[in-house]
Amino acid sequence: MSEEKKLTRKDLWKVFFNQLTIRCANNYERQQNAGFTQAMMPVIEKLYEKPEEKQEAYERHMEYFLTNDITSAIPVGVAAAMEERYATEKDIEPSSINAVKTALMGPLAGLGDSLLNGTARPLLAGLAISMVSAGTVWLGPIFFVIGMAIVSLGIRYFGVFQGYKQGVKFVDRIQSSGLISKIADLAAIAAYTIVGGFVPLLVSINIPLSYTNGDTTLVIQEILDGLMPGVLGLGYTLFMYFLISKKKISAVKLILITMVIGIVGAYLGILG
Amino acid sequence: MSLSLQALLVALFVTITFIDAHTTQTHIFRPIVVGPVVGLIMGNVQTGLTVGVTVELMFLAVIFVGTAVPPNPTISTAIATGIAILGGGGTELAVATALPISFIGQMAETFQNTVINVWFMHRVDKAVEKRNPKGIVINNTVLPMAMNALLYGVPTFLAIYFGADYVKMIIDAIPGKIITGLSVGGAMIGAVGFALLLNSIKSKKLWPFFLLGFFFASYLKINMIGIAVLAAICVAMYYYFKLADQKKEVKG
Repeated sequence: MSEEKKLTRKDLWKVFFNQLTIRCANNYERQQNAGFTQAMMPVIEKLYEKPEEKQEAYERHMEYFLTNDITSAIPVGVAAAMEERYATEKDIEPSSINAVKTALMGPLAGLGDSLLNGTARPLLAGLAISMVSAGTVWLGPIFFVIGMAIVSLGIRYFGVFQGYKQGVKFVDRIQSSGLISKIADLAAIAAYTIVGGFVPLLVSINIPLSYTNGDTTLVIQEILDGLMPGVLGLGYTLFMYFLISKKKISAVKLILITMVIGIVGAYLGILG
Repeated sequence: MSLSLQALLVALFVTITFIDAHTTQTHIFRPIVVGPVVGLIMGNVQTGLTVGVTVELMFLAVIFVGTAVPPNPTISTAIATGIAILGGGGTELAVATALPISFIGQMAETFQNTVINVWFMHRVDKAVEKRNPKGIVINNTVLPMAMNALLYGVPTFLAIYFGADYVKMIIDAIPGKIITGLSVGGAMIGAVGFALLLNSIKSKKLWPFFLLGFFFASYLKINMIGIAVLAAICVAMYYYFKLADQKKEVKG
């Protein structure tokens, strides 16, 4: 077939915008399949002429698909490259397109969840909260939204354009070089450092008790702060971690337990 | 602004945040944004900020890893903030009600994924069969996004419009000491979010980094921006000392 059947940058931008709908009709039967199909629409409409070819291509993408919403842009880009190859050269099996998509689902779901929900979002949210705590009103929330917009749209742009450019090579690179586990390691280091820093700033526990003996008054909180500032928050966070990881107690229960501790502690006058 | 207009605007905003959550994901649906925006609509930004910050800490990590749909912090922050402001601006009760309300959003989202979107997806199937690309867009994007108004906007409107009277009664009936206790508990709630986050990554060798962050913030009083810079330095050190060397070994 002729050269004009190649996808242009303009086509890829259309793919980018359609990829945004990947989870609009997220459903438990086949998950993001309808969204993936809409993402491929500009590709299919451009590359295929015969209606039955178009229908066949659409049906291909209506199969089960599930990965992280944002990193799903990578298989969208790769699939666009493979559809182009199939439409122009006919030297690959159409079934291999779905095989490649499926191979990318697991690793990209893990990467997306650890990088976005595990690192980028809590980090930006924590920074925004600290800006709010510092007395600014809108700076924190606006900073958070701009940061997340750059992450969300930036990764999607990278996924569609690089996924298309590198095509199936992308899959090899991801699987052979251990790239994903390396990125996950770096993200985990950032997350642990930041959470450690968050604890004394955002978990506050105060003991309003004091002990008077003759002329000297011992204020318990002052003694604790003198020894190790934020030690109660640290201890409570590690205790919660212990209950979650070792005792498998659910987060919802821990939130309720924390509220009850607050109420009982304040009632008895040992917390405040 | 009348209560009905305020409730309507909050419901509209919640609907827009859900459309963002299902498309562009600029994350305006997070409590840190929903709190102050609802506060602005209801006439008390400060209360909105306080509720937003506390609920954000509560939901910092994904609650319920592995299960289908997590409790939803968006609708919970919107309703809790609205009700707190109508009830006189106390944030303590809002924080306590945020968790139970988050299950409303969870139920709506589960219903959306199991019933509504399955139905729309089958309509996309039919559109493909009929070779009708417009039908794909309508059933994959337009109609499911319109459903967000019904699933999330309407409950928000009802809760704020009809909930206010009841809330005032409840607030008056609760002893002051319990209200104080709720705010004490609220200040500790971040511990649960952080523990969840650490548990979701879980790696023994990373604890020194955790303690490093804690040490800088607690002893040296470094603020959050400083902690972010510290984290970037740690990541760079790990990269240069460990990963970059591995690359050389492979090449050499």
